[in-house]
Amino acid sequence: MHTWKQIRDREFGNLRPHRFSNRIKSRRLSDLQLSNHKDFLSPHKGALNSLQVDLTEGRYLLSAAADASVAVFDVQRPTEHEAGGLISKHRCLFVVDKQHQLAHKYAVSSAVWYPVDTGLFITGSFDHHINVWDTNTTQVVVNFKMPGKVYRTAMSPLATSHMLVAAATEDVQVRLCDVASGAFAHTLSGHRDGVMSVEWSTSSEWVLMTGGCDGAIRFWDIRRAGCFLVLDQSRTQLGRRPSVLKRSTVNKESNFKSSSAGQTTSAKLRVAQKKLPNGNGSRQVVVGRAPAKGPIKQRLHPGMLSTQDRATAHYGAVTGLKVTDDGSDSRLRLWDIESGCDTLVNFETVRLQTNKPIQLATSQDSTRVFVPCMRTVKAFDMWSGSTSATFRGHYECVNSCWFNEQDQELYTGGSDRQILVWSPPRLISDEMEEGIAEDQDSWSN
Amino acid sequence: MDDLPESSSKGTKRRRIDDSAADAATSSSLQDDLTFSDTLVALQIMRAQFPHIDKVSIQPFILKSQLYSSVKDRTQVDRELESLRRDKVLRLFKLNTGQDDHAIMFLDDYVKQIDQVFKRMEGKKEVEFEVFGWFKNYVLDSKLETGIEHEELCSLLSLGGKVKDSHISILINAGVIIRQLIDPNMYWFAIPNIGTILKGLAQGRNELISLLSRRRYKEMMLATLEKKRLRMSPLDMRFHLRDLIGSGHLRTDHTPSGLIIRVSKD
Repeated sequence: MHTWKQIRDREFGNLRPHRFSNRIKSRRLSDLQLSNHKDFLSPHKGALNSLQVDLTEGRYLLSAAADASVAVFDVQRPTEHEAGGLISKHRCLFVVDKQHQLAHKYAVSSAVWYPVDTGLFITGSFDHHINVWDTNTTQVVVNFKMPGKVYRTAMSPLATSHMLVAAATEDVQVRLCDVASGAFAHTLSGHRDGVMSVEWSTSSEWVLMTGGCDGAIRFWDIRRAGCFLVLDQSRTQLGRRPSVLKRSTVNKESNFKSSSAGQTTSAKLRVAQKKLPNGNGSRQVVVGRAPAKGPIKQRLHPGMLSTQDRATAHYGAVTGLKVTDDGSDSRLRLWDIESGCDTLVNFETVRLQTNKPIQLATSQDSTRVFVPCMRTVKAFDMWSGSTSATFRGHYECVNSCWFNEQDQELYTGGSDRQILVWSPPRLISDEMEEGIAEDQDSWSN
Repeated sequence: MDDLPESSSKGTKRRRIDDSAADAATSSSLQDDLTFSDTLVALQIMRAQFPHIDKVSIQPFILKSQLYSSVKDRTQVDRELESLRRDKVLRLFKLNTGQDDHAIMFLDDYVKQIDQVFKRMEGKKEVEFEVFGWFKNYVLDSKLETGIEHEELCSLLSLGGKVKDSHISILINAGVIIRQLIDPNMYWFAIPNIGTILKGLAQGRNELISLLSRRRYKEMMLATLEKKRLRMSPLDMRFHLRDLIGSGHLRTDHTPSGLIIRVSKD
């Protein structure tokens, strides 16, 4: 009823279409539960390490697991139906595992799509290699050897002038690999310990953010040498910065997941003049000019933990100067990228997984952040830090999650080898009216 | 600090504060004043409720996890703490009890504590004690964070006079500054004489958790629980309860017969 009224308002022009769709989306978002109509049949025999839906179409889900297998699923078209057409099962379109000739030998820690189209995907693995695969032929096109275990790989979704893959490894240097030429472009030094998370900025194709096991989060402009910003947890600000003619001054950064704010951003972070000496945690304020809405990215931190985690949500360990002795409670922090300050939003997390990267997800309008916390996934409200929902379904630790904007679905992968789908409930009556998708009577022709 | 709505309804508590023989048995139930509306109110009331410990003389401090259990909105707590810290009303200290523990102490209490330590040390040696005065005047005033670098410490202390290495050693011996384990150039600010209390804190936490875990259903009513005494900790049950609830190890649930405390599993 409420929906019909809104549709009528939209028709008469009382409600803007954009707001109408936002309302529907946020209502669906608050109704997420274990899906009663969609299921992925996971072919993996090891813990799932990363999930990603391609950015161009939002159709193919790429999953990487600890048994060196990588699988691709079609999110929108199921391969078969069950229960009279009510439940759609999605089998993988193909899986690349150890039997394959040039596959990885150890766990694949991250798999990302080529941002331009789904013809390529890039996988990074603990066997020190990064492979670039051709999707249609499932062959390795380019191969890079790294000096250590690869924890994360990332490619910039905005890049028009470069095809660089940023690799975060257990070595202290972040390497940039060029897909076009097959060579290494350059390395970024500054971290004192392994780098567990890397993410490209959604506002500039030249800015890269990395989080290391030493607890530092550094911002790099790849055209220069050296990072221009290190986030320091002693620099804090209370809440969002007030916007003066510009909207959304707070940028949150997610180490692997950046949710674009819906509008294209031409904000260029103007790099400060001085070059930061490596290893020095002094803060450089980025003189930013953000005429348009900046991208919202979220950065998570474990407060006193020195490892970084999460694919999308990595927790950066304590940033800047502090290094902690013992990992303990991990914390999530929200950082304002423009000012480099901690916005002091407290997310109530008791325990987060601390020894592997985990992947966080944020909703597009940046109101919700989904964080894997041991066996559950918690959805927090971004600005107030309160828990809005807890998703319990996995039998073991959840490693990664990805939020599908188009359908408002959350995909989570865990150490129990399953990919679970959390979606707004579909009313059974809807299905009945449309007719059963497949009508199979075994006794009539 | 006047009658705020929270405290005015706790008539018994007001009387108890005046009562010098304040004891857990006679205090009002924790159930009534588990939560407060405002961070500063919570801090002051918890400071007043700090247990009296016989052998160690220490000014009251509050743990950050206790604040989280007392005020509903954690983000508001963080922000108010931050603004109070910037206004130099209180100081934050990082504790070494392993987790993300911070202690909050009002600035006046901290200065009193330093003075107490200074007085006890003064009996032994006469030299180089002006460093405490320099510390109070220059370092505490300008450096509001929980840690400080060696060069910065020396430069701030030298505003008072010539700084020698022995000055820094005196500060470390007094327990005001602690060297960081990871980075030899960085120091944490610390509360002097707090060692035994921290040990009691860690042991008391373990004891309370094991007390509840040993029970069949891992829960106990708050009313019965707070009457128990902890053997290993000089701090009282109410202190530990607030701390563990705030750090998430224990959960409170409402039941028709009052609050019940459960060990949380997640």
